[in-house]
Amino acid sequence: MNDRIIFEDVSKFYGEVLGVNRISLTIPSGITALVGPNGSGKTTLMNLMTGLVQPSSGHISVLGLSPGSATEFFRDVGYCTQFDSFPRGLTGWQFIFDSLMLHGISKTEATRLTRESLERVQLGDAADRRIAGYSKGMRQKTRLAQAIAHHPRVLVLDEPLNGLDPLARAESIALFEELGRQGMHLLISSHILDEVDRIADRVVLITGGYLIAEGNIHQVRQEVREKPMQVLIRCDHPELLASKMFAINHCVEARLHADGKGLLLRTGDIDQFYSSLNGIAAEGLVKIEAVAPADDDANAIYQYLIGSDGSAL
Amino acid sequence: MSVYKHNYRAYTGKLTPGWTRILVLARYGYAEAWSSKITIGIFILSLLPCIGFLFGIYLANNPMARLLLGNHNQRVLAINAGFFLNLMDAQFGPALVLAAWIAPRLITFDLADDALPILLSHPISRFGYVFGKWVALFASLSLVTWIPALVLFAYQGYSSPQPWAAANVPIAFGLVAGAVIWIAFLSLLGLALSSWVKWRVVATGAIFAAILVPAGVGAIVTAVLRTKWGWLLNVPFMMSVLSQRLLGIPDLAGSQPSLPTAGMTAMLTLGCLLCVAMLFARIRAREVVRG
Repeated sequence: MNDRIIFEDVSKFYGEVLGVNRISLTIPSGITALVGPNGSGKTTLMNLMTGLVQPSSGHISVLGLSPGSATEFFRDVGYCTQFDSFPRGLTGWQFIFDSLMLHGISKTEATRLTRESLERVQLGDAADRRIAGYSKGMRQKTRLAQAIAHHPRVLVLDEPLNGLDPLARAESIALFEELGRQGMHLLISSHILDEVDRIADRVVLITGGYLIAEGNIHQVRQEVREKPMQVLIRCDHPELLASKMFAINHCVEARLHADGKGLLLRTGDIDQFYSSLNGIAAEGLVKIEAVAPADDDANAIYQYLIGSDGSAL
Repeated sequence: MSVYKHNYRAYTGKLTPGWTRILVLARYGYAEAWSSKITIGIFILSLLPCIGFLFGIYLANNPMARLLLGNHNQRVLAINAGFFLNLMDAQFGPALVLAAWIAPRLITFDLADDALPILLSHPISRFGYVFGKWVALFASLSLVTWIPALVLFAYQGYSSPQPWAAANVPIAFGLVAGAVIWIAFLSLLGLALSSWVKWRVVATGAIFAAILVPAGVGAIVTAVLRTKWGWLLNVPFMMSVLSQRLLGIPDLAGSQPSLPTAGMTAMLTLGCLLCVAMLFARIRAREVVRG
């Protein structure tokens, strides 16, 4: 299991305050999104994973490495904190270069890697300006460049899209996707659920320090059986389709799409639903153009499992 | 689901030894310390006593100058262990001022800027972080203590008509040892107090207070209880006595209380341990404490 990030029954208490409680997780390569409301324990989980705080109990292993041994551990891990803070007085170039020197990389290599990482986040032109004069988005990019500069195998990104304009956000997402496809482990915490949907292979939902769900977004959605799934069906006779589907017990809600060319249906048994829909399509009375889950995304899962105020469970 | 290509390659090039990484922190701490004009001002003022002592050595070794001074009293211009003890005593104060100014710049800024998590997300330990800062402060204080003292020692060796330096090597040893003990203690104290105070000016005041207040308390204890042990709270006094012994100057009976070397060493060690405990309680990367 040296290719996975493993949390084994990990708890963290700050005195009497619960940070996270009995978290057990196995995270493979690819992009994993850590989702939860403010104060849910996301940053604590990331700090535990990177050894910046020690667990009160349990064990954490990152690709077979223990976060306790900083020297070996941080060669393979890059961490981008959510806090907009830097050592004082440095330029973007100096910050990345120093970071690489702290990683034990020679000056020649550090120069090359600094240039590479700054160009990767489109900060090459501003490299020689002081970070204090950067915009919020540029500082976010600088932290990201610092985290990827030493070519880590694991990248931990705490709210990496905060403060970025739409273009920079798209560029960052493209970078994450590329790194994820290449087989890197990326753990990303984010509040932006639409983007979680776009980039994440897996989600980890956490609230109040407790793990609520984890896994592939679609699999997690299917596990939430108490919430009927919503499916959007594009067809030529939505009213007819609605009447036919309502004849089936598991269909609990039907709503015509605003444009009149589709139907939103809720069903308590998705497998049975698709089977019935197949039968209706075969009859030929309704011409079905498209079928797609309408609430099979991170946003829906978040609403169902955590709720808008974090109290669904 | 993504289709993983698994062609990402982590960095596998050569790595520098661990100790050089600590020097990165030391180098930037040093640069931070000396980026202030006030630091340079304090440094220049700190060297004024050395210039006075340099002039003294010049006078002592220049026959014309001695003749002009009348050459009445050889002892006034004698360049010996006592001369260098006076130099040490004169430099301890400026070293304290410089430490009180620089130490907060090294740690307080990182704490105030919340930069510790990002720094400690590197292959360095908390010990490495503190040690790097300590080296930066130690190196800065060396510039006003044992380095100028050794320069003066070398100048005396060069100026003296007799082969002076070889015969007085223990003085050089005493100079370095005394100064190193003082600035090592000051560096630890400065960093420890700075790590607990986010406001730099207050940290500077706290460093002075940590040296001067116990000395005052010690004087009261000595006077009220009529005991010599109150002097163990007076770090500058202990350093002066230690330096005197390191330079090989015998205690003058009746002129000062005779404290045992072991007692003074124990007190300084205790102070250092307290500073280390303070540093390791405070230098943490923790970012968020919910509650």
